[in-house]
Amino acid sequence: MTDTSSSGTQPEASVSTGTKSTDKQTADAAVAAEARRRATRRGIIWLFTGVAVIWLFAIGVDTSISSTFDLSTTTDLTLTVPSAATVWVLGGVIVALGVLQIVRPLGASGYLSVLVVILAVMAFLTWAGRDQAFSLVGMLQSTVTRATPLALGALAGVLCERSGVVNIAIEGMMLFSAFLAAFAASASGSLWVGMAVGVFGGAALAWGHAGLSVTYKVDQIISGTAINFFATGITAYLAASVLTSNPQLNRSGTFDNWSLPLLGDIPFIGEFLFDNNIYVYTMYVLLPLVTWMLFRSRWGLRVRSVGEHPRAADTVGINVLRTRYHSVILGGMAAGLAGSFLPLGSVGSFQEDMTAGRGFIALAVMIFGRWNPVGALGAALLFGFAESLNSKLAILGTPIPSEFLLMAPYVVTLFVVAGFGGRARPPAADGQPYETN
Amino acid sequence: MSRRFLRMAALGAALVLVAGACASEDEGSSDTTEASGADSSGSEITACQVTDTGGVDDRSFNQTANDGLVQAEDELGVQGKVLESSSEADFEPNIKAFVDQGCDLIIPVGFLLDGATQASAQENPDQKYAIVDVDFFDADAGEDISYDNVEELTFATDQAAFLAGYLAAGTSTTGKVGTYGGINIPTVTIFMDGYLAGVQQYNADNGTDVEVLGWDGSDGLFTGDFEDQDKGKQTTKSLIDEGADVIMPVAGPVGLGSVEAANEADGVKLVWVDTDGCISVPDACDLFLTSVQKKMDVAVFDSIKSVVDDDFKAGLYTGTLENDGVGIPEMGSDIPEDLAKKVDEYKAAIISGDQSVTPS
Repeated sequence: MTDTSSSGTQPEASVSTGTKSTDKQTADAAVAAEARRRATRRGIIWLFTGVAVIWLFAIGVDTSISSTFDLSTTTDLTLTVPSAATVWVLGGVIVALGVLQIVRPLGASGYLSVLVVILAVMAFLTWAGRDQAFSLVGMLQSTVTRATPLALGALAGVLCERSGVVNIAIEGMMLFSAFLAAFAASASGSLWVGMAVGVFGGAALAWGHAGLSVTYKVDQIISGTAINFFATGITAYLAASVLTSNPQLNRSGTFDNWSLPLLGDIPFIGEFLFDNNIYVYTMYVLLPLVTWMLFRSRWGLRVRSVGEHPRAADTVGINVLRTRYHSVILGGMAAGLAGSFLPLGSVGSFQEDMTAGRGFIALAVMIFGRWNPVGALGAALLFGFAESLNSKLAILGTPIPSEFLLMAPYVVTLFVVAGFGGRARPPAADGQPYETN
Repeated sequence: MSRRFLRMAALGAALVLVAGACASEDEGSSDTTEASGADSSGSEITACQVTDTGGVDDRSFNQTANDGLVQAEDELGVQGKVLESSSEADFEPNIKAFVDQGCDLIIPVGFLLDGATQASAQENPDQKYAIVDVDFFDADAGEDISYDNVEELTFATDQAAFLAGYLAAGTSTTGKVGTYGGINIPTVTIFMDGYLAGVQQYNADNGTDVEVLGWDGSDGLFTGDFEDQDKGKQTTKSLIDEGADVIMPVAGPVGLGSVEAANEADGVKLVWVDTDGCISVPDACDLFLTSVQKKMDVAVFDSIKSVVDDDFKAGLYTGTLENDGVGIPEMGSDIPEDLAKKVDEYKAAIISGDQSVTPS
């Protein structure tokens, strides 16, 4: 899915190694030509997108009707725009960007691709919401909430895989810690205890995963699958045998939303970004922090070197196995946090299979985010947005079958990943057990 | 190293097996037979239930059907067994396991078990089945199918949902009510159809313009499964954002997400489905306007009883308002008297066949 425009990075790398000046020139020319071709191709895609937007969403729409977006759930802040004209403007900007790109390639076209997608989505929303009001702020709120467990789950994947251990057990860790968190919070009466126990539960399963895959060198996929099965089985069993007969042990409640001072008072933006529960704020802090640690700190360098070339890391005195243990367990803690979100941050109780595949989506989000926590956040937000969009469209009654709407998040993610270009490259030693001598 | 590896692998496999076995054997209902046994004549009868996904304690769909089994254990002294299906791949092996165990009656619960049950019923003509929520139908030939060894327990839930829809429209202050389903299948959408029809009838009677969000009579809002409560919560929030103040989730345990969303919002009421919400989710009783009861427990119990009495009837059973197979609980004081009276009139009209429950 990502092969479309992946060729760009390789020639650039070879340029720097070219020694003779003639080689360098031809290589330069080839690179420039290739870059130019890609830029043009991108421009053409934008141009078509713009035309399609206007053709689908503006033509045939009565010029007198308008679309209203609610920008606040507490006040009457709304934005009303004429539907057709707005789509013409948005589509026009996309077309203009496309033409410019073809005539004279623009820099930073990756970001511009994102802009084009956003503009197209805005045009689509204007069309879908024509002649009625719909809550934009509600949609963005739910985008952020939906993205939270995915981004935290993806963080678990990043931490594990950067150290060279494949983790497909995120789902199992999330489910297990969701159960523990609901149980502990109900039994102790404190949500914080529940959260801590959930994080601990994730770490415990991760320790098992590390033991199997790092120490005993079991195939990491098998070990992860075993953990997933274990978590499904044990939580279903305990839910049936303990929680059903003691419903008071499954009544955790949820964290309240806190509006951040000042930031939370910003109209519109404050409402969906800064009026959330503790999990969302933790995500805001944790993802950049881990990114910085992975790519700027000595610890991160060690983790990455163990994931890329464990033999070399070992040679310079890094303890490969121990580093992997630490990373996997840290990852498990992140998965535990993600899992405890479901009862404590959202639903208020545990139910069998409540993760419903989120751990696997988190894995996909990690890959789309290029094994980078901040990238994963972007991918998770995109996925969350697509999910919110699909329920919004079903409510607005667009003539799209509901089955297709349910597919939308997956399709959108695929398209954007393909459109972004660049190769998704896992850490070189990902999934390979390391044999110490 | 390799021996260690094998040992760990074996241990892992063993864990998986143990966990898997624990997952599918429901403790609660399979062990209670000894204690009861009021009726000794039925004690050799085993009734075996295969659940849909979502778990037997989902406080909604699976649980209601299970209640019938538990009741039969208590009152008829039959032996009850339950296998939970954690995915659709479990349906067939679970049914087969019960055939092999020599169950007297197998009770597959749910529309999605249609195919697996038909296949098993054809293969084992002497095995009795009572499938919940399925009326066998050959779509290719366009004709109804029935088997001599299968009782099909179906429910005209649209009749009860009509009453709930009428109540919803009558109590909404925003002029918008909402609904969403788990998966777009007939046994789910029949609720939504009845609900929509009830709202339309209210509009026709009162000249109002109450809107139904999430279902337009042919397509609507679905979460895509019967497990993901967080999705249920977000979906409900979207409905609330668009102004709906009475919401009917038709998604089994996913509806618990709606409870949380309604809890956080002001002035939002829910219509619970399958069971009386005030009994199955007592904490949230205040939030329920009413419930669309689908009395699977009664139907399952009767079916087991027919096996015990050696009076098993294959073919179609339909629960209606008339035979009390579907219904809404007694209306409380929070419902205006005029409205309650009107709903009672419509109940009588539906039973007599004078009132259609199909949306226009």
